[in-house]
Amino acid sequence: MSEKEGLKNNVREALANENLRGALGRFGDAYIGARENAYAGKDFQELRGQIAAIKGAAAQNMEELARRFAESARSRGAKVYRARTAQEARDYIKKLAEEKGVRKIVKSKSMASEEIHLNEYLNQHGMESVETDLGEWILQLSGQKPSHMVMPAIHMTRGEVADVFSEEVKRQLSSDIPELVRVAREQLRKKFLAAEMGISGANIAVAETGTIVIVTNEGNARLTTTLPPVHVAVVGMEKLVEKFADVKPILEALPRSATGQKITSYVTMITGPTPAAYPDGSVRDKELHIILLDNGRTSMQSDPVFKEALQCIRCASCLNVCPVFQLVGGHVYGHIYTGGIGTVLTAFFNGFQKASDIQNLCLGCERCKRYCPGNIDIPRLIRELRRRVVENNGLPGMPKFVLEKVLPNRKLFHNLIKTARAAQKPFQKGAMVRHLPMFLAGLTEGRSLPAIAEKPFRDIVLTGHRPPATGDQTKVGFFAGCLTDFVYPQLGEAVHKVLRHMGMRMTFPVEQTCCGVPAIYMGSRKAAAELARRNIAAFERDGVEHIITACPTCAHALKHQYVELLDTDPGWRKRAEYFAAKVTHFTAFVAEKSDNGELPGLQRGNMRITYHDSCHMKGCLGITEEPRALLSAAGLQLAEMEGSDRCCGFGGSYSIKFPEISRRILDKKLAAIEATGAQMLALDCPGCLLQLSGGLDSRGKALPVKHTAEILAQQIAGSGKS
Amino acid sequence: MGKKDIDRLYNVFKEQAEAVSARVYRVKDPRDAGRRLTQIFQELNVSNVITAQSDLLRECLGAADTGKVTVYAENLREHSEDAHLGLSEADLAIAETGTLVQDSTALEQRLVSTLPPVHVALVRTGRLVEHFVDALEQLNHERAELPGYIAFISGPSRTADIERVLTIGVHGPEQLHIIFVDRPGGEQVE
Ligand code: SF4
Repeated sequence: MSEKEGLKNNVREALANENLRGALGRFGDAYIGARENAYAGKDFQELRGQIAAIKGAAAQNMEELARRFAESARSRGAKVYRARTAQEARDYIKKLAEEKGVRKIVKSKSMASEEIHLNEYLNQHGMESVETDLGEWILQLSGQKPSHMVMPAIHMTRGEVADVFSEEVKRQLSSDIPELVRVAREQLRKKFLAAEMGISGANIAVAETGTIVIVTNEGNARLTTTLPPVHVAVVGMEKLVEKFADVKPILEALPRSATGQKITSYVTMITGPTPAAYPDGSVRDKELHIILLDNGRTSMQSDPVFKEALQCIRCASCLNVCPVFQLVGGHVYGHIYTGGIGTVLTAFFNGFQKASDIQNLCLGCERCKRYCPGNIDIPRLIRELRRRVVENNGLPGMPKFVLEKVLPNRKLFHNLIKTARAAQKPFQKGAMVRHLPMFLAGLTEGRSLPAIAEKPFRDIVLTGHRPPATGDQTKVGFFAGCLTDFVYPQLGEAVHKVLRHMGMRMTFPVEQTCCGVPAIYMGSRKAAAELARRNIAAFERDGVEHIITACPTCAHALKHQYVELLDTDPGWRKRAEYFAAKVTHFTAFVAEKSDNGELPGLQRGNMRITYHDSCHMKGCLGITEEPRALLSAAGLQLAEMEGSDRCCGFGGSYSIKFPEISRRILDKKLAAIEATGAQMLALDCPGCLLQLSGGLDSRGKALPVKHTAEILAQQIAGSGKS
Repeated sequence: MGKKDIDRLYNVFKEQAEAVSARVYRVKDPRDAGRRLTQIFQELNVSNVITAQSDLLRECLGAADTGKVTVYAENLREHSEDAHLGLSEADLAIAETGTLVQDSTALEQRLVSTLPPVHVALVRTGRLVEHFVDALEQLNHERAELPGYIAFISGPSRTADIERVLTIGVHGPEQLHIIFVDRPGGEQVE
C-alpha cells in the first residue's frame, strides 16, 4: 500500500472509531472553557510574545546555549552528552546501562525518548524499560502508539484498559476507573522501587544554571528522579532557554494551554545530582546524565522558515482546537508528533517524505495559530511544507494543469468556467446541483453544490452599475474572488448596493482574477505569486482608495499572503505592501465607515438569527464584533450558537481530498446551528455559505443562509423587508 | 508584611489549593499544629509515619499524640514502603496557585512527599508569597546556590489518562494536607 492509500485507510478507520471521536470531541469542547478560565487575569498575547522572544532567541543561539548548558550542568556534577542522532542517544544510554549492570529501568513521559524509540531499543537489548505515565503504560502494555502529545491514551475506553490490565495482573478487573488507577499504582510502585535507572525528559533546560525543569501531574517523574541511583534525562535541544528567569512565562503558559490547569500538580527543577539510596543502604549522590538531543533540530534551526517551529513548548493546544484532529486523532499522522506542528516536526525528525502526505490533512482554517503559546504561525509552516513537497515531487496531473496553466490565464480560466456552466445544466435542480460527474464527485459528499451563475458578477458590473447620487463618492475597488464572481454574484450586487447607499463609488477592475489561495494551499507558490502580481497590477491601474472583498479568505490572501509571496522581489514587495494596506473585508469596512457600527437609513428587521464566525474572518482578520454590531443595530436578534468559531469543514479543495472528514465537521456545525432555533444563519464568507447552505439543502432543511452584505442590502429602504 | 496582607494571601492560597483538592488548615502555634496532626492520625487510622527533619516538624510532632503511631525520622528509604503518612516542612507557599515550594535536595524531603499515600506539609504562615516569581526571587535571595532539587507541589497526585476522568492519587500521595503555623517559634499568645 502506498503511503497515500495508507493515510486514507487510517482516516477511514479513525472515523469509524466512536470511542476516539467521543473522547476527543468531549475533551475538545471542554478544553476551550477550561483554558479560558485558567488564563483569567493573564494577558495571553503578552505572554506568548514573551515566550516567542525567549524561544526564538534561544533557537537562534542553540549551539551556544547547548555549550553553556553543558558547562553549567557539569560544574554542578552532571554528565552532559551531545547526541547528534537518535542512534547516538540510544547507544549512549544502552552502554551506560550495561556498564552499571542495569536491568530494570523506569521512564517518565518524554516525547524525545519516544522520538528515538528508546524503549524498543532497550528492550531488544535485554533490559526492561517501563513507562510509568499511566497513559503511556497502558499503551506500552497494549502495544499501541500515543494518539495525542499530552494525553497519549485518549483513544482508549475504560473497558479496553481493564482488559489490558487484567492480562497484566492475571485476574479479571472491572472497568471502574479509580480501581484501574489503583492497580496501576500498585504495579508501577514495585517497578519504581526495583529500578536501577530512571529516564525522564525535560520541558525546559536552562543554560545559565544547568537546570532541567519537568512538569507532571501524576508524580511519576518525581519518583523516577528520586529512587533509582542513575538518572538519565533526554532533552531535545529546542528545550534550551538562556536564563533562569525565562522559565516563568513558559511555566505559566504550558499547563494553562495544555490542560487548562494554572499549574500542574508537580513542577520539578533539577540542578546537578542529588542524593539517592543505593541498594547497599548507603545514601549518596546519584549519577545524573543529560543527553542533549539534536536529531534534526540544528537543521531546523538553520532553516529560515522552519526555525520558528523551535518555539514550540509541546502544549498540544494546536491539536485540541484542530477540527481535523478532533475527528481523527493522532494515529493517522503515523508518527509521535501529531497535528499541525507534528507534521512539521515529523518532516525534520523523520524526513520530509514522511510528512508529505500527512500535511494534506490540514484544512487551512488557521484556528491553531490563535491559540499557540509559542506564537508560531503553524499554517504558514504547513503551507511552506506543502510548497517544498510540490517542489520535490511536482503536482499531480489535474491540479498541476489547473494551477499552472489555467489559473494564471484569466481568459482561459473564465471561459472554462462558462463552459462548465453550460455543461452543468442537466444536473441542475432548483438552485443546487445534486450530482456532479467524475472527478468533482467528492464535492457533493454530504452537501449539495450551488450552480454556477448564469451571469458572472463581472458581466453584471459592466452593464448595470451607476454611481451614487449623493455622498463623497469615495472610490472603492471591489475584489470579487471566484465564488462571488461566478457562483454568488448576488453578493457583489449586495456590496454594491450598500456602498452606494453609503455614498461611495464601487469600481470593479476587470483584469482581476482568482486570489491565488487554491494555488497557495496546493503548494504552488509560483502560480500563486503570478496571480498576486496580476491582481495588484489590476487595482493599481484603477487607482482606488480602498480595496474590499466579501470573502475573508481572499482578504487574508490579499492582505497578508501577497507580501509573503512576493517577498523575494523588492519592487513587487513594495507594491504588495501598498496594496495590502488598502485591503479590508466588506463588513469591517462598513462598520468602520458607518455610524458607531450602525449603518444609518435601514429598515429594521426583527428576525432571530445566529452568526457563524468563518475561520479566516475571525482567525486571520480578527473580525468578530463588527458583523454582530451591524446586524444587531439593524434590528436582528442574535442567538449565539455553541462554538460559533468552529470550522464548517469547507477548506476549499479539502472537501475533495478528505470528503468524509469535511462532512463530519459539517454535521457538528449544523447541529449547533439548529440548536439555536434561529430563523436565519448569517455569515461573512462565500466558502462557508457554499458549505453550509449546501449542507442544509442536502439534509432537506430550508433555513436561509445569508452573507451580512445581503442582509444589510435587503434592509436598505425600498428593498422590501427581510 | 502586615497581618491583613498575610490573611489575604492565606485566603487566596486556601481557595486555590482546595480547588486542586488539597486540604488546608491554619493554626496558631506548634501546640495547635500538634493537635491537628493528632486528628489527622486518628481520622486516617495512621500507624506508620515517616518524617523529614526540621525544628518546626520536631516541635509540632512533639505536641502531637503519637501514642498509637510509630514515627521514623531515620533510614527513611527502608521505612517508606510501609509508611501511611509522610511529614515535611515547605519552604514557601505561593498563594496565586496554591503551591508549596520545597528545597528537596535532601533525599528525605522527597521520600516523605512522594511515597506514602498521605503527605502532610507544615508551613510557616509568614512564608506565604503572592506569585511564582516571588518564590523564585526569595529562594535566590536566601540561597548562595540554586538548590539541586526544587519541588513545586500543588495538590495531590492526579491523572486523567483514562477517558479524561480526573482521578486523584496515582503515583504520588492521594491526600495532601497543609497546615499553616502562625507562630512557629511557639511565642506566647498575646
Ligand atoms: S505549536 Fe504551539 S500550540 Fe502547538 S504544541 Fe507547540 S506550542 Fe503548543
